Amino acid sequence: VKPATLTIRVWDLPTRIFHWFVAVLVVFSIVTGKIGGSWLEWHMRSGYAILTLVLFRLAWGIVGSETSRFASFLRGPAAFFRYAGDIVGRRHRAVIGHNPMGGWMVLFMLLLLLAQASSGLFADDEIATQGPLAVKVSNALVAKMTAFHYYNGWTLIGAVFLHVIAIAAYWMAWRDNRVAPMWTGRREMDGDGTQPELRATWIAALILASSAGFVYWLVVVYPRA
Amino acid sequence: MKGIKSMKKSALAAFVVLAAAAIPTVAQQMKAENQVKYRRAAYQLMNLNFSNLEAMAENKKPFNKDEAARNAEFVTLLSTVPKGFFGEGTDKDTRAKPEIWKNRPDFDARMDKMTNEAAKLPAVVKTGDMAAFKKQVHDLGEACKACHDEYRAKQQ
Repeated sequence: VKPATLTIRVWDLPTRIFHWFVAVLVVFSIVTGKIGGSWLEWHMRSGYAILTLVLFRLAWGIVGSETSRFASFLRGPAAFFRYAGDIVGRRHRAVIGHNPMGGWMVLFMLLLLLAQASSGLFADDEIATQGPLAVKVSNALVAKMTAFHYYNGWTLIGAVFLHVIAIAAYWMAWRDNRVAPMWTGRREMDGDGTQPELRATWIAALILASSAGFVYWLVVVYPRA
Repeated sequence: MKGIKSMKKSALAAFVVLAAAAIPTVAQQMKAENQVKYRRAAYQLMNLNFSNLEAMAENKKPFNKDEAARNAEFVTLLSTVPKGFFGEGTDKDTRAKPEIWKNRPDFDARMDKMTNEAAKLPAVVKTGDMAAFKKQVHDLGEACKACHDEYRAKQQ
Protein backbone atom coordinates (compact mmCIF):
# COMPACT_ATOMS: atom_id res chain seq x y z
CA VAL A 1 0.00 0.00 0.00
CA LYS A 2 1.41 3.33 -1.05
CA PRO A 3 1.27 5.75 1.85
CA ALA A 4 -0.54 9.02 1.36
CA THR A 5 1.65 11.95 0.43
CA LEU A 6 1.57 15.05 2.47
CA THR A 7 2.84 18.48 1.62
CA ILE A 8 5.14 20.12 4.13
CA ARG A 9 6.27 23.70 4.09
CA VAL A 10 9.99 23.06 4.61
CA TRP A 11 11.71 26.36 3.93
CA ASP A 12 10.38 29.76 4.89
CA LEU A 13 10.50 32.64 2.42
CA PRO A 14 13.45 34.47 4.09
CA THR A 15 15.65 31.37 3.94
CA ARG A 16 14.80 30.83 0.29
CA ILE A 17 15.43 34.44 -0.63
CA PHE A 18 18.71 34.27 1.25
CA HIS A 19 19.75 31.12 -0.55
CA TRP A 20 19.10 32.26 -4.11
CA PHE A 21 20.47 35.75 -3.67
CA VAL A 22 23.65 34.36 -2.17
CA ALA A 23 23.92 31.78 -4.96
CA VAL A 24 23.69 34.45 -7.66
CA LEU A 25 25.94 36.91 -5.81
CA VAL A 26 28.63 34.29 -5.16
CA VAL A 27 28.84 33.43 -8.86
CA PHE A 28 28.90 37.13 -9.70
CA SER A 29 31.62 37.74 -7.10
CA ILE A 30 33.80 34.92 -8.40
CA VAL A 31 33.58 36.19 -11.96
CA THR A 32 34.17 39.88 -11.15
CA GLY A 33 36.94 38.99 -8.69
CA LYS A 34 38.82 36.97 -11.29
CA ILE A 35 38.40 39.63 -14.01
CA GLY A 36 39.53 42.31 -11.58
CA GLY A 37 40.27 45.90 -12.60
CA SER A 38 37.24 48.18 -12.61
CA TRP A 39 34.98 45.17 -12.00
CA LEU A 40 36.32 45.12 -8.46
CA GLU A 41 33.93 47.97 -7.65
CA TRP A 42 31.05 45.60 -8.43
CA HIS A 43 32.87 42.77 -6.72
CA MET A 44 32.96 44.87 -3.56
CA ARG A 45 29.31 45.85 -3.74
CA SER A 46 28.41 42.21 -4.22
CA GLY A 47 30.56 41.35 -1.19
CA TYR A 48 28.74 43.90 0.98
CA ALA A 49 25.43 42.36 -0.06
CA ILE A 50 26.70 38.87 0.75
CA LEU A 51 27.99 40.04 4.13
CA THR A 52 24.57 41.57 4.86
CA LEU A 53 22.80 38.35 3.88
CA VAL A 54 25.17 36.10 5.83
CA LEU A 55 24.81 38.19 9.00
CA PHE A 56 21.06 37.96 8.54
CA ARG A 57 21.26 34.18 8.08
CA LEU A 58 23.40 33.70 11.20
CA ALA A 59 20.80 35.59 13.23
CA TRP A 60 17.97 33.68 11.51
CA GLY A 61 19.81 30.54 12.55
CA ILE A 62 19.10 31.52 16.13
CA VAL A 63 15.66 33.13 16.03
CA GLY A 64 14.30 31.93 12.68
CA SER A 65 12.01 29.12 11.61
CA GLU A 66 12.63 25.62 12.92
CA THR A 67 14.26 24.29 9.75
CA SER A 68 16.57 27.32 9.63
CA ARG A 69 17.74 27.16 13.25
CA PHE A 70 21.22 25.81 13.98
CA ALA A 71 19.99 24.18 17.17
CA SER A 72 17.58 22.05 15.17
CA PHE A 73 19.85 20.98 12.30
CA LEU A 74 23.35 20.81 13.81
CA ARG A 75 23.31 17.25 15.05
CA GLY A 76 25.80 15.31 17.13
CA PRO A 77 28.33 12.76 15.85
CA ALA A 78 25.98 9.80 16.36
CA ALA A 79 23.32 11.22 14.03
CA PHE A 80 26.01 12.41 11.63
CA PHE A 81 27.64 8.99 11.28
CA ARG A 82 24.34 7.14 11.15
CA TYR A 83 23.29 9.33 8.23
CA ALA A 84 26.71 8.92 6.59
CA GLY A 85 26.31 5.18 6.98
CA ASP A 86 22.94 5.35 5.25
CA ILE A 87 24.44 7.28 2.36
CA VAL A 88 27.29 4.78 2.02
CA GLY A 89 24.80 1.91 2.24
CA ARG A 90 22.69 3.61 -0.47
CA ARG A 91 19.72 3.87 1.89
CA HIS A 92 17.61 6.92 1.20
CA ARG A 93 16.24 8.79 4.16
CA ALA A 94 13.82 11.62 3.52
CA VAL A 95 14.52 14.44 5.94
CA ILE A 96 12.49 17.58 6.51
CA GLY A 97 15.03 20.40 6.36
CA HIS A 98 18.80 19.88 6.51
CA ASN A 99 20.00 16.33 7.03
CA PRO A 100 22.60 15.58 9.76
CA MET A 101 25.50 15.88 7.28
CA GLY A 102 24.14 18.73 5.18
CA GLY A 103 23.51 20.81 8.29
CA TRP A 104 27.22 21.00 9.05
CA MET A 105 27.91 21.84 5.42
CA VAL A 106 25.51 24.79 5.76
CA LEU A 107 27.38 26.11 8.79
CA PHE A 108 30.72 25.51 7.05
CA MET A 109 29.65 27.45 3.95
CA LEU A 110 28.20 30.30 6.03
CA LEU A 111 31.49 30.62 7.93
CA LEU A 112 33.47 30.48 4.68
CA LEU A 113 31.28 33.25 3.27
CA LEU A 114 31.62 35.32 6.42
CA ALA A 115 35.41 34.92 6.34
CA GLN A 116 35.53 35.69 2.63
CA ALA A 117 33.40 38.83 2.80
CA SER A 118 35.15 40.08 5.95
CA SER A 119 38.68 39.54 4.65
CA GLY A 120 37.73 41.34 1.45
CA LEU A 121 37.02 44.49 3.47
CA PHE A 122 40.76 44.65 4.26
CA ALA A 123 42.13 43.43 0.92
CA ASP A 124 44.17 45.39 -1.60
CA ASP A 125 44.61 44.42 -5.28
CA GLU A 126 47.84 46.48 -5.38
CA ILE A 127 46.73 48.27 -8.53
CA ALA A 128 44.00 50.76 -7.69
CA THR A 129 41.43 49.13 -5.44
CA GLN A 130 41.29 48.60 -1.70
CA GLY A 131 38.66 47.24 0.62
CA PRO A 132 37.07 50.00 2.72
CA LEU A 133 38.80 48.95 5.95
CA ALA A 134 42.32 48.58 4.50
CA VAL A 135 43.09 52.17 5.52
CA LYS A 136 42.28 51.32 9.15
CA VAL A 137 44.86 48.57 9.70
CA SER A 138 48.58 47.93 9.20
CA ASN A 139 49.93 47.04 5.76
CA ALA A 140 51.13 43.71 7.17
CA LEU A 141 47.55 42.83 8.04
CA VAL A 142 46.31 44.06 4.65
CA ALA A 143 48.81 41.68 2.99
CA LYS A 144 47.65 38.78 5.18
CA MET A 145 43.98 39.52 4.50
CA THR A 146 44.63 39.79 0.75
CA ALA A 147 46.38 36.41 0.75
CA PHE A 148 43.61 34.88 2.85
CA HIS A 149 40.93 36.34 0.60
CA TYR A 150 42.60 34.71 -2.39
CA TYR A 151 43.07 31.21 -0.92
CA ASN A 152 39.79 31.16 0.99
CA GLY A 153 38.10 32.06 -2.29
CA TRP A 154 39.27 28.77 -3.76
CA THR A 155 38.10 26.88 -0.64
CA LEU A 156 34.71 28.51 -1.10
CA ILE A 157 34.57 27.54 -4.77
CA GLY A 158 35.40 23.97 -3.73
CA ALA A 159 32.64 23.97 -1.10
CA VAL A 160 30.12 25.29 -3.62
CA PHE A 161 31.05 22.50 -6.04
CA LEU A 162 30.66 19.90 -3.28
CA HIS A 163 27.26 21.37 -2.41
CA VAL A 164 26.04 21.26 -6.01
CA ILE A 165 27.41 17.74 -6.53
CA ALA A 166 25.57 16.53 -3.40
CA ILE A 167 22.29 18.04 -4.62
CA ALA A 168 22.79 16.46 -8.04
CA ALA A 169 23.62 13.10 -6.41
CA TYR A 170 20.31 13.04 -4.50
CA TRP A 171 18.49 13.51 -7.75
CA MET A 172 20.50 10.94 -9.67
CA ALA A 173 20.49 8.26 -6.96
CA TRP A 174 16.97 8.65 -5.59
CA ARG A 175 15.13 11.15 -7.78
CA ASP A 176 15.03 13.28 -4.66
CA ASN A 177 14.56 16.83 -5.91
CA ARG A 178 16.22 19.21 -3.46
CA VAL A 179 16.06 22.24 -5.72
CA ALA A 180 12.27 22.56 -6.01
CA PRO A 181 11.65 22.81 -2.23
CA MET A 182 14.28 25.53 -1.97
CA TRP A 183 12.38 27.41 -4.68
CA THR A 184 8.74 26.77 -3.68
CA GLY A 185 9.31 26.11 0.01
CA ARG A 186 7.21 22.95 -0.19
CA ARG A 187 8.11 19.33 -0.21
CA GLU A 188 5.98 16.21 -0.64
CA MET A 189 6.56 13.61 2.05
CA ASP A 190 5.45 10.01 1.89
CA GLY A 191 3.69 9.07 5.10
CA ASP A 192 4.79 10.72 8.29
CA GLY A 193 6.05 14.24 8.69
CA THR A 194 5.38 17.03 11.08
CA GLN A 195 5.00 20.55 9.80
CA PRO A 196 7.96 22.54 11.17
CA GLU A 197 7.23 25.75 12.97
CA LEU A 198 7.80 28.73 10.66
CA ARG A 199 8.43 32.27 11.87
CA ALA A 200 6.85 35.41 10.47
CA THR A 201 8.59 37.05 7.51
CA TRP A 202 8.45 40.53 9.05
CA ILE A 203 10.85 39.41 11.79
CA ALA A 204 13.29 38.40 9.06
CA ALA A 205 12.79 41.74 7.32
CA LEU A 206 13.64 43.54 10.53
CA ILE A 207 16.83 41.50 11.03
CA LEU A 208 17.83 42.00 7.38
CA ALA A 209 17.34 45.75 7.70
CA SER A 210 19.51 45.87 10.84
CA SER A 211 22.13 43.77 9.13
CA ALA A 212 22.14 46.09 6.10
CA GLY A 213 22.41 49.10 8.41
CA PHE A 214 25.40 47.61 10.19
CA VAL A 215 27.19 46.78 6.92
CA TYR A 216 26.50 50.30 5.61
CA TRP A 217 28.04 51.73 8.77
CA LEU A 218 31.01 49.35 8.46
CA VAL A 219 31.88 50.06 4.82
CA VAL A 220 30.73 53.66 4.36
CA VAL A 221 30.44 55.54 7.66
CA TYR A 222 33.23 54.02 9.77
CA PRO A 223 36.04 54.22 7.14
CA ARG A 224 35.47 57.99 6.86
CA ALA A 225 35.40 58.53 10.60
CA MET B 1 51.26 81.82 -20.58
CA LYS B 2 50.42 79.25 -23.21
CA GLY B 3 53.94 79.43 -24.57
CA ILE B 4 55.50 78.83 -21.18
CA LYS B 5 53.13 76.00 -20.47
CA SER B 6 53.91 74.24 -23.74
CA MET B 7 57.64 74.88 -23.23
CA LYS B 8 57.33 73.31 -19.82
CA LYS B 9 55.49 70.47 -21.41
CA SER B 10 58.12 69.84 -24.07
CA ALA B 11 60.81 70.11 -21.44
CA LEU B 12 58.99 67.49 -19.42
CA ALA B 13 58.59 65.32 -22.51
CA ALA B 14 62.28 65.64 -23.27
CA PHE B 15 63.09 64.71 -19.70
CA VAL B 16 60.86 61.63 -19.88
CA VAL B 17 62.55 60.48 -23.07
CA LEU B 18 66.03 61.11 -21.64
CA ALA B 19 65.18 59.48 -18.33
CA ALA B 20 63.64 56.48 -19.99
CA ALA B 21 66.66 56.18 -22.26
CA ALA B 22 69.11 56.64 -19.43
CA ILE B 23 67.56 54.22 -16.95
CA PRO B 24 68.50 50.89 -18.59
CA THR B 25 72.18 51.85 -18.81
CA VAL B 26 72.17 53.04 -15.23
CA ALA B 27 70.38 49.91 -14.05
CA GLN B 28 72.92 47.60 -15.61
CA GLN B 29 75.56 48.89 -13.27
CA MET B 30 73.28 49.15 -10.29
CA LYS B 31 73.27 46.44 -7.65
CA ALA B 32 70.22 44.21 -7.53
CA GLU B 33 69.06 45.46 -4.16
CA ASN B 34 68.83 49.03 -5.40
CA GLN B 35 67.11 48.08 -8.63
CA VAL B 36 64.40 46.48 -6.51
CA LYS B 37 64.27 49.59 -4.34
CA TYR B 38 63.76 51.98 -7.25
CA ARG B 39 61.24 49.90 -9.16
CA ARG B 40 59.24 49.50 -5.95
CA ALA B 41 59.33 53.23 -5.37
CA ALA B 42 57.97 53.77 -8.87
CA TYR B 43 55.24 51.15 -8.45
CA GLN B 44 54.19 52.56 -5.08
CA LEU B 45 53.86 56.09 -6.40
CA MET B 46 52.01 54.76 -9.43
CA ASN B 47 49.65 52.94 -7.08
CA LEU B 48 49.03 56.15 -5.14
CA ASN B 49 48.26 58.20 -8.24
CA PHE B 50 46.36 55.50 -10.07
CA SER B 51 44.17 54.76 -7.02
CA ASN B 52 43.08 58.37 -7.02
CA LEU B 53 42.20 58.17 -10.72
CA GLU B 54 40.29 54.94 -10.14
CA ALA B 55 38.33 56.61 -7.32
CA MET B 56 37.36 59.44 -9.69
CA ALA B 57 36.53 57.02 -12.50
CA GLU B 58 34.24 55.10 -10.17
CA ASN B 59 32.58 58.28 -8.83
CA LYS B 60 33.88 57.57 -5.35
CA LYS B 61 35.12 61.12 -5.38
CA PRO B 62 34.29 64.04 -7.65
CA PHE B 63 36.26 64.34 -10.89
CA ASN B 64 38.72 67.20 -10.66
CA LYS B 65 40.45 67.80 -13.97
CA ASP B 66 43.60 69.43 -12.59
CA GLU B 67 44.06 66.82 -9.94
CA ALA B 68 43.39 64.02 -12.43
CA ALA B 69 45.80 65.53 -14.96
CA ARG B 70 48.52 65.65 -12.33
CA ASN B 71 47.86 62.03 -11.32
CA ALA B 72 47.84 60.96 -14.97
CA GLU B 73 51.13 62.66 -15.73
CA PHE B 74 52.75 61.04 -12.72
CA VAL B 75 51.44 57.63 -13.77
CA THR B 76 52.68 58.11 -17.35
CA LEU B 77 56.13 59.16 -16.21
CA LEU B 78 56.47 56.54 -13.50
CA SER B 79 55.20 53.75 -15.75
CA THR B 80 58.42 53.97 -17.78
CA VAL B 81 60.63 53.40 -14.73
CA PRO B 82 60.28 49.74 -13.62
CA LYS B 83 61.24 48.08 -16.91
CA GLY B 84 64.82 49.20 -16.56
CA PHE B 85 65.11 47.85 -13.02
CA PHE B 86 64.41 44.20 -13.69
CA GLY B 87 68.03 43.15 -14.27
CA GLU B 88 69.23 39.59 -13.74
CA GLY B 89 69.22 38.51 -10.11
CA THR B 90 66.62 41.04 -8.99
CA ASP B 91 64.10 38.42 -7.90
CA LYS B 92 65.68 37.88 -4.47
CA ASP B 93 63.36 38.73 -1.58
CA THR B 94 60.68 39.94 -3.96
CA ARG B 95 57.47 38.50 -5.40
CA ALA B 96 58.89 38.81 -8.90
CA LYS B 97 58.73 35.31 -10.39
CA PRO B 98 61.86 33.80 -11.99
CA GLU B 99 59.74 33.31 -15.15
CA ILE B 100 60.33 36.99 -15.90
CA TRP B 101 63.87 36.20 -16.95
CA LYS B 102 62.88 33.01 -18.75
CA ASN B 103 60.16 34.71 -20.80
CA ARG B 104 61.77 38.08 -21.13
CA PRO B 105 60.19 39.04 -24.49
CA ASP B 106 56.71 38.31 -23.15
CA PHE B 107 57.39 40.16 -19.93
CA ASP B 108 58.70 43.14 -21.86
CA ALA B 109 55.67 43.08 -24.16
CA ARG B 110 53.32 43.21 -21.17
CA MET B 111 55.36 45.97 -19.61
CA ASP B 112 55.25 47.96 -22.87
CA LYS B 113 51.50 47.45 -23.13
CA MET B 114 51.14 48.93 -19.65
CA THR B 115 53.40 51.87 -20.52
CA ASN B 116 51.41 52.51 -23.70
CA GLU B 117 48.08 52.48 -21.89
CA ALA B 118 49.50 54.81 -19.24
CA ALA B 119 50.78 57.19 -21.93
CA LYS B 120 47.21 57.68 -23.23
CA LEU B 121 45.88 58.78 -19.85
CA PRO B 122 46.85 62.48 -19.66
CA ALA B 123 45.25 63.34 -23.03
CA VAL B 124 42.06 61.49 -22.11
CA VAL B 125 41.87 63.31 -18.78
CA LYS B 126 42.20 66.66 -20.53
CA THR B 127 39.22 65.98 -22.79
CA GLY B 128 37.09 65.60 -19.66
CA ASP B 129 35.14 62.83 -21.40
CA MET B 130 34.16 60.65 -18.44
CA ALA B 131 33.31 57.57 -20.51
CA ALA B 132 36.69 57.67 -22.25
CA PHE B 133 38.42 58.38 -18.94
CA LYS B 134 36.72 55.42 -17.30
CA LYS B 135 37.67 53.18 -20.19
CA GLN B 136 41.31 54.26 -20.13
CA VAL B 137 41.58 53.71 -16.37
CA HIS B 138 40.05 50.28 -16.91
CA ASP B 139 42.44 49.41 -19.77
CA LEU B 140 45.47 50.47 -17.77
CA GLY B 141 44.27 48.45 -14.78
CA GLU B 142 43.92 45.41 -17.03
CA ALA B 143 47.43 45.93 -18.36
CA CYS B 144 48.80 46.07 -14.80
CA LYS B 145 46.92 42.92 -13.86
CA ALA B 146 48.04 41.03 -16.96
CA CYS B 147 51.61 41.19 -15.66
CA HIS B 148 50.77 40.58 -11.99
CA ASP B 149 48.78 37.45 -12.86
CA GLU B 150 51.67 35.95 -14.77
CA TYR B 151 54.84 37.26 -13.21
CA ARG B 152 54.07 38.27 -9.65
CA ALA B 153 53.74 35.69 -6.88
CA LYS B 154 50.65 35.88 -4.69
CA GLN B 155 51.00 37.32 -1.23
CA GLN B 156 51.66 34.68 1.40
